[in-house]
Amino acid sequence: MSRLLVVDDEANIRLLYSEELKDEGYEVVTAASIAEATEKLQLGTFDLTVLDIKLKNESGIDLLQQLVKERHDMPVILCSAFSCYKDDFSAWLADGYVVKSGDLAELKQEIARVLAKKAQKARIGL
Amino acid sequence: MDWECCWDRAVIGNDECPNIAEEEYALLNSRERRVLEKCSDCDRFVRDLSRFADSDHPLAAVFPVVHREYLRQKAQIQSLASFLDNKTLEIRFLHELGFVLQSSVDLEEVLSVALTAITAGKGFGMNRAFLLMTDRETETLKGYLAIGPRNLEEASQTWNEILSNDLDLKTLAQNFRINKLSAERAKFHDILEQLTVPLSAVDHIVVKAMDGKRPLLITDAFHHPDVPIELARLLEVDTFLLMPLISRNRRVGVIIADNCITHRTITDEDMHSLENFSFPVAFAIERASLYDKLQVELNRVTEAGKKLKEQQELIVRMEKMALVGRITSSIAHSVRNPLMVIGGFARSILKNSPPSDPKRDFIESIVSETRQLEVVLDEILHYSDSLYPTRDFWDVNQLVEGAIRDTADVLVSRGIVSGYSAGHDLPMVFIDFKQLSYCLRTLLQNDISGPGSERAIAVTSFKSAESVTLHISDRSRSVSQDELDRLLVPFSETSDLGVGLGLALCKTMLEKQGVPFDAEANADKGVTFTLVLPTHKEAQQ
Repeated sequence: MSRLLVVDDEANIRLLYSEELKDEGYEVVTAASIAEATEKLQLGTFDLTVLDIKLKNESGIDLLQQLVKERHDMPVILCSAFSCYKDDFSAWLADGYVVKSGDLAELKQEIARVLAKKAQKARIGL
Repeated sequence: MDWECCWDRAVIGNDECPNIAEEEYALLNSRERRVLEKCSDCDRFVRDLSRFADSDHPLAAVFPVVHREYLRQKAQIQSLASFLDNKTLEIRFLHELGFVLQSSVDLEEVLSVALTAITAGKGFGMNRAFLLMTDRETETLKGYLAIGPRNLEEASQTWNEILSNDLDLKTLAQNFRINKLSAERAKFHDILEQLTVPLSAVDHIVVKAMDGKRPLLITDAFHHPDVPIELARLLEVDTFLLMPLISRNRRVGVIIADNCITHRTITDEDMHSLENFSFPVAFAIERASLYDKLQVELNRVTEAGKKLKEQQELIVRMEKMALVGRITSSIAHSVRNPLMVIGGFARSILKNSPPSDPKRDFIESIVSETRQLEVVLDEILHYSDSLYPTRDFWDVNQLVEGAIRDTADVLVSRGIVSGYSAGHDLPMVFIDFKQLSYCLRTLLQNDISGPGSERAIAVTSFKSAESVTLHISDRSRSVSQDELDRLLVPFSETSDLGVGLGLALCKTMLEKQGVPFDAEANADKGVTFTLVLPTHKEAQQ
């Protein structure tokens, strides 16, 4: 079972992601801030992080940069209320990008795609 | 002694003096006036005087002396009177000229007056004149304007016209300016083109005349040691006058004048008159030139002021736009998240409720409405984002391939295949990458009704003048040109979700970046979008 970390400052969104992704068969851990996410990342390992860009007074991009440096083997999917970040350089560091929507089909597809890619990389020893 | 002349009679008959005309009959009754005005020049009187000189009279030797002296002084007085008449005419002419020159700040008017004055019979009566003006940028004297006939036939025609009209200098100059200035410039173009002398050529006769600040009369030009043979050949005259135009020690130019048709001798008197004339002309030309420059500068300042005002208005507008951007951004975040939660949980409930549940319809409505609101939100956010294009140089292939990759899943789900054919050696294009990516994605997966003749979208690129042209040929769509044009208008009504911003937003974004955009609908070929992406910053609108 793949283990996912969901980072979002909105409690209801964390709950929605958690419920929906658990239904898809993932183990889901949530965090409301960068500090909480960092703490949970230190305590356990994750196969993928779903990260909101706008976190109250913080930027998810800062955490993304940190993760790319320290945990380059763990893919990150960015979630945002703004589609414009999709073409932003900083967002290109992420493995996937999803615009927030009540329809989580795209997010689920993206998670499946990124995890499959990760698995493929692992198989060929990259 | 019988006298041949009538000087000894107080009154004479009207046929007794051959020198008195009908209108001078008053002289018949006045011996004093008759003797002074007529007799002294009369052959009969001269013969009487000769006979008297041969007589024994004591005054016989004196009278001829007195007579000769009288004739000499009379001739001198007549000469002086003639000189004064000429000077009066000249002063009147210079006064008229000065008045016209002082009252004008129009360079072409000043030049017309000056050159007309030199060549008009009422002026200095020279046949032809060339004006060379100082070009301070290139440090040269350059042929600027000329006036006069090029051959005898033209000269006769022009001079007859002037004689028959009897116009004053001002009118002549006005006529010249209105009717002949451009034609004269064109007529002498070949000579004016070659009349260029560097100011550094201090040995050149034209520069010498200007440096010497005095007119020079050149004779025997073809053999003159200081005259370049090219200049003599160009002017095709042996004698000409060089008149420097100096204003407050500034070298304004030189006038070359000659009598190429009549070959009338240029006298010292002509030189002196022209020298007096050159000062006000030089001053007027310089003043008009400065006025011209002042006008140019004034226009620049006015233009700069206008631009500054526009910039100020733009800044105010941008501040307002920035505010709009911040507001929409804030709204997006505030609205998107609750919308997502509502829509997400509604879907979740729907997924877990049995098909027979009577509340399914209500939940489906929530899902559908939240979906529509999300589409509207997307469009408004893109519109807000389109207000600030940020351009840089980008690779076209990266742009197109990215857009095709991003839209592939959606297109495949619709049964449409997309492909890209890249042109050779494509240069980088100067665009806002984010906005162009959005536009390409929107154009590729637009909501225009279909299906068209084929289920394929072909993107091609090729290099053109200072740009790269992109064609998106979408054969999967079928729409009329009118319908397509309507879709390019923001907020036009569509049957689809949203507020109808998709294609219109693309058009707005591209226009703001100065990227020409064309959308063409064809019954057979579907829809073709053409984008011309600039490869230089200057190519931007």
